[in-house]
Amino acid sequence: ASQPLTQVVVINIEGMTCNSCVQSIEGVISQKAGVKSIHVSLTNHNGTIEYDPLQTCPEDLRSAIEDMGFDASLPAQPS
Amino acid sequence: MPKHEFFVDMTCEGCSNAVTRVLQKLGGVQFDIDLPNKKVCIDSEHNIDTLLETLKKTGKNASYIGEKSA
Repeated sequence: ASQPLTQVVVINIEGMTCNSCVQSIEGVISQKAGVKSIHVSLTNHNGTIEYDPLQTCPEDLRSAIEDMGFDASLPAQPS
Repeated sequence: MPKHEFFVDMTCEGCSNAVTRVLQKLGGVQFDIDLPNKKVCIDSEHNIDTLLETLKKTGKNASYIGEKSA
């Protein structure tokens, strides 16, 4: 059996001011299909998400956070 | 127009800003956020379910309190 794919993306998130914002984001995003783990850092203003690229993509994750009312942006793509 | 009162479990500015943003995205709403009391008072043509779904998008606990007489 092949190993399930896992990729990691770091998304910049602005507008979080406390731990409950962090928990809300972690709670909602971790429910999303394809998301394996999420760690949101209040001090770094970003979220590190492990995901299955077959089920979701960074843009999808970004818009999910945006939908929650936070400013989310993807880091510049390495070319 | 009726005003609807909702309970939203907001704990900080960031939470209430998030609520503001999702409501603004929905559009067609006028609202007041009462952070200390965790209440959002909305004046809108949208039905209650739509409003509640929108509030829940923020990942907070939200519930409908009732109509508020002006």
